[in-house]
Amino acid sequence: MGRSDEELVEACQAGEASAFDVLVARWEDRIRGAAYRFLGSEEEARDVAQEAFLKAYQALSGFKREARFSSWLYQIATNLCRDRLRRRKTRATVSLEALEGTGPVMVETRPGAHERLLERDLARAVRRALHTLPEEQREVVILKEYQELTFLEIAQALDVPVSTVKTRLYRGLDQLRLRLERDGLRRAAPLPVPAP
Amino acid sequence: MDCERVGDVALQGDKMDVLYGEADSAVRARVAEHLAGCAACREEMAALSGVRRDLATWRLPGARPSFAPRGIVVPRWVAAAALLLLGFGATLGATGYASLRRALARQEARAAELERRQGEAVQALEARPRPVLDPAELLASLDSRIEERLRAAEKTQADRLDLRLADWEERTEAQRRVDMARVAASLSYLDGRHGQQLARTNELMGYVLEASQKR
Repeated sequence: MGRSDEELVEACQAGEASAFDVLVARWEDRIRGAAYRFLGSEEEARDVAQEAFLKAYQALSGFKREARFSSWLYQIATNLCRDRLRRRKTRATVSLEALEGTGPVMVETRPGAHERLLERDLARAVRRALHTLPEEQREVVILKEYQELTFLEIAQALDVPVSTVKTRLYRGLDQLRLRLERDGLRRAAPLPVPAP
Repeated sequence: MDCERVGDVALQGDKMDVLYGEADSAVRARVAEHLAGCAACREEMAALSGVRRDLATWRLPGARPSFAPRGIVVPRWVAAAALLLLGFGATLGATGYASLRRALARQEARAAELERRQGEAVQALEARPRPVLDPAELLASLDSRIEERLRAAEKTQADRLDLRLADWEERTEAQRRVDMARVAASLSYLDGRHGQQLARTNELMGYVLEASQKR
């Protein structure tokens, strides 16, 4: 079994540069994925991931193990994405439709052309709805839904209390529900009442 | 009908814990108790669960599918012909290889003979006594040769100059003679003109005298 993130960080801090390569290999896809969902651009996501690892490497000597390495890495990447989104807003307004048009095609694995089309439409609607959320809610939804971080990890990554993370997530999901219902695309299913 | 605890941040947090499977038993019990008596919240939880399923449809762009090799269908006769050609080629190759080896051996023997002869020639040249040259004599010989060459060049230049001078003198003399002849011709012409005029005057004077005598 490979070494844990913390062990690798420790090795890196002790001068074993190759340990950082292992960390990059382990986290690069996930960081790039998160950045892609934040920014909607594959190219920018790649840049952000590279930049995040570079920043992490430069600041690794000062990294204190109060939070997990992954949370710290997500924090760096999220900040980089925020900067880019801010710069983008000051430069020009990109319509979501334009974003949709230039986006990559989703990979479908289920058979059936009709189902594929429906799912593609739904995926587009989800993506569009996500981009209408306030930034702080979108970040939490993406980190929770797609990066599968725990509430504590998200709180560490965003430097906010856990309760704030949960509230933002709740509001974000509620907004998404309203938006998708309005588009007539959301599929609701009854949830069994949990046993006491 | 709305939930009476709408806007309760603690309940919202608990719902999120349950929805994402991070709730401990106490939280699960609290939420279950509330949902049991609140249709609005049950509906809401069902809807949020549906939103989670919808969110899962947005997947990241995956890697492009690689091209799967389909294989090449070859007719049997083509395969047989290819095998036959391969065998024929292998035989030819073996024969060719043997003849090539023989040719190489001959070539090597020839090269060795040539090398031996060259070695002998070099030895013979080295054995021959070499002439001893004195540098001072060599320099003196070179100096005398250079002086000879210089003298010959000066003489040639002087001869050429003499020839040119003689030619120029001849041309000048000829021109002078032509000019003198022209001057002489002009003088004689003038003399002639003058003589005729004098004769004409004399003739006129004779007429005048003759006329005066008649009177």
